Amino acid sequence: MTLSIWRFSHLMLALVSSLFIVLASVTGTILAFEPISNQLESYQINEDTTLATTIESLTNSYDEIITISTDENDFVIASVITKEGDSETFYINPETGEKLGELIEKSTLFKFTTNLHRSLFLKSTGRFIVGLVSFFLILMAITGLVLIAKRQGGIRRFFSKIVNENFEQYYHVELGRWFLIPVIIVALTGVYLSLEKFSLLPESNITHTYPKDVSEDIDKIPFSDFEVFKSTLISEVKNLEFPFSDDVEDYFFITLKDRELLVNQFSGEIVSEQTYPLVHMLSQWSLFLHTGQGTILWSIVLALVGVVLLFFIYSGFAMTLKRQKSKVKIKNKFKKEDAEYIVLVGSETGSTFRFATLFHKALLAGGKKAYITELNQYTTYHKAKELIIFTATYGEGDAPINATKFEKLLGTIENSKLNYSVVGFGSLLYPEYCKYAEEVDNLLNAHSNFNRKLELIKINNQSFEAFKNWILKWNTVSNQNLIITQPTEKLNSKYTRTFKVVKRTELNIDDTFLLQLRPLKKIKFQSGDLLAFKPNEDEAAREYSIAKVEGDILLSIKKHDKGLCSTYFSTLNTADTITATISENKEFHLPTKTKDVILIANGTGIAPFLGMIHDNKKQKNIHLFWGGRTKTSLELYAGLLEEAKKQDKLYQLQTAFSQEQAEKIYVQDLLLQNEEFIAKHFQQNGVVMICGAIAMQSRVLEVLNNITTEQLNKPLSAFESNGQIKMDCY
Amino acid sequence: MKNIKLIILVFTMAFGLVSFNTLSESSKYKCMIQMTNYTGEGAYIVISLLNPEGEYVETLNVIGDDDEWYNTIESWWDFYGKKRNDIDAITGATVSGGQRTINVIEIDDDKLDKGYKLRFESAVEDQEYYESDVELELTSESVKSKVEGKGFIRYIRMMPQ
Repeated sequence: MTLSIWRFSHLMLALVSSLFIVLASVTGTILAFEPISNQLESYQINEDTTLATTIESLTNSYDEIITISTDENDFVIASVITKEGDSETFYINPETGEKLGELIEKSTLFKFTTNLHRSLFLKSTGRFIVGLVSFFLILMAITGLVLIAKRQGGIRRFFSKIVNENFEQYYHVELGRWFLIPVIIVALTGVYLSLEKFSLLPESNITHTYPKDVSEDIDKIPFSDFEVFKSTLISEVKNLEFPFSDDVEDYFFITLKDRELLVNQFSGEIVSEQTYPLVHMLSQWSLFLHTGQGTILWSIVLALVGVVLLFFIYSGFAMTLKRQKSKVKIKNKFKKEDAEYIVLVGSETGSTFRFATLFHKALLAGGKKAYITELNQYTTYHKAKELIIFTATYGEGDAPINATKFEKLLGTIENSKLNYSVVGFGSLLYPEYCKYAEEVDNLLNAHSNFNRKLELIKINNQSFEAFKNWILKWNTVSNQNLIITQPTEKLNSKYTRTFKVVKRTELNIDDTFLLQLRPLKKIKFQSGDLLAFKPNEDEAAREYSIAKVEGDILLSIKKHDKGLCSTYFSTLNTADTITATISENKEFHLPTKTKDVILIANGTGIAPFLGMIHDNKKQKNIHLFWGGRTKTSLELYAGLLEEAKKQDKLYQLQTAFSQEQAEKIYVQDLLLQNEEFIAKHFQQNGVVMICGAIAMQSRVLEVLNNITTEQLNKPLSAFESNGQIKMDCY
Repeated sequence: MKNIKLIILVFTMAFGLVSFNTLSESSKYKCMIQMTNYTGEGAYIVISLLNPEGEYVETLNVIGDDDEWYNTIESWWDFYGKKRNDIDAITGATVSGGQRTINVIEIDDDKLDKGYKLRFESAVEDQEYYESDVELELTSESVKSKVEGKGFIRYIRMMPQ
């Protein structure tokens, strides 16, 4: 697999710095608890007290005041000389001058962790490494940003729905989006603080000019009567240094957040006032943002950043390893010069290769001379008769990384006349669904040397059913009988249960029946989840979308002549048991946040909806559009649906029967008749759920897209990425 | 039993009197350390009393509260590190570039004008160590003076309390 420059940089940066990032994240998370624990101490007091009040109260109780300061937690600290002549420093109540407690001592854990976090106990070398890694982290955030934008199909779709390939990938992207800014802040301030430590920032010190001749003939007034002390609140003061002696050349030195003041200790006159340069303010902000000092909320965010970074490292490497593992090694039995069938693959992540290889293997098993390679390797094939192209699309309709040169090659390389067909892989969530496959199809079609054998088909979310349908078509056109074997997956035994058959109806006019199963041991599931059943060890499991009715599973199954599972199920009797696995299908549960839901199904696709309607206790407005062959087809479900209507669990039911009249009416035609209603539904954030055959799905999506484009001036993908469309088609 | 208690009491009192007598009079001085505008971490500073032979007698003050860094003040560490007297009571927070710190130090009166010295050593993490940033002979005049530093310390000022 070739990697794009962005992914390569992202990965390389992670490889180089992962160890340090792990250290910095763990220690950073621990350190985030220091400001939290400090903030929980109760030394916070009335902030409206003036500096004059504080000075007056302290003067009464102590011999001398050395400094009054506020710390990052806004606690007030006084350093005084007691009547006994000892110097002491402690928290005070600024109003009364009363001692509140001893200074919080930095605990050994935090001391140790701070050191490790800043310099890995390697002093300057460590500091440099930490600073560099922080810089790498910024680069990783930026490359990550680009990768997300590309994956989501443009920066404007940055926050649209993510295609869930697996746990690591999904949360890597999801958390990447939410934590991009905090991570950049942490990394940027980390770099800034490192630069500061290495004195690489412009000088930020300010100097005061001390008056040359100071007259001692001034009436001394008490400190607490100074105008500047009366007008300054204790909360604005960072530090106030009292004059060292009563020599007039010793001044009060006040540090505020943005400036410093020098005050004559006799007259209270401000003799010098200097505002801090920008660098100083940036340093303060960097320190605050990096350490979270003084705020519980930001400290929590910082702690989370640490945890999230650890997850990024874990999930990033898990993904890379998985990709590495699933990396398909191209193995060819025949040389490209001898092959009759050429399979060309365009894939960004490698998943399209899985399908292409299955097809390649089927060709070989069928005794064909076949050759498989990447689109970028396209060349002259002397004996080729047919070209089969499997390609994904990357980003905003671009070619995947291993197909970027194909268009150019096509113009330069000579081949004798070839048949071709293109299969596109992608996700309906993206507006540019299978765009590149379309482009390849158009390119070949426009080329005089190619002859389109099959229309372009698009496969959503790697649907194996859709792929099998395409093979059937290809077989018919080619007069072949290739058989694709779906790789058997291990089912998760944790969710495997024995079910008892409670009821099975007879086959209806369409060879369809209902099967009611009861789990013998408790298991949690919802309508829309999937029941996977393996007819025997070597077969891949078949999945059925399930309805939950009174704690039982209700399946609607159509018996196929050659269907192993459906035939087996159709022979089950009450009290028989079967073993099957339930897998959660979160993407296809009845939405909880919306009140209006449109359900669209044909044939047995109605199954999960039966459960959703039955369970509609909150009385959502459910509109069911169903397409079947004849009125009699509906009888199987009529009982449940009528009951639901009576109990206001089903708002409306619209049906289309294809075989009932001269012209065929399908479920998508019902949608056209309800154009305005559907447009309004989308506009009001209503959800549309679709379940049934793939062919129905694509017709329905087409109609819906027309409706939204015409009535709302938005493509359907806008609503899809908004999570308003849920699909489970086969 | 009664006797034992009595004996203990007598001994304690006697010991207390003896030790009280051996204590000499001491005075407190206010001492300000003004740092230069260096950049970097807070400095560790130790104020020690040296005898006329230049040997450490007593640690008067330690500025810097993380004992992990005490060994950066090398000469003093050679003296203190082996003995480890309790210095908890005289430690304070580190002081950074451009800042000042004011502390009260206590010096026995009989050390004045006898050739004893005050030494200020300073060290900053990842930077230099100054064995005698400020060093002054302890006289009744010098405890009221201002002395320039050679390292991280710009100057120190002292004043009797």
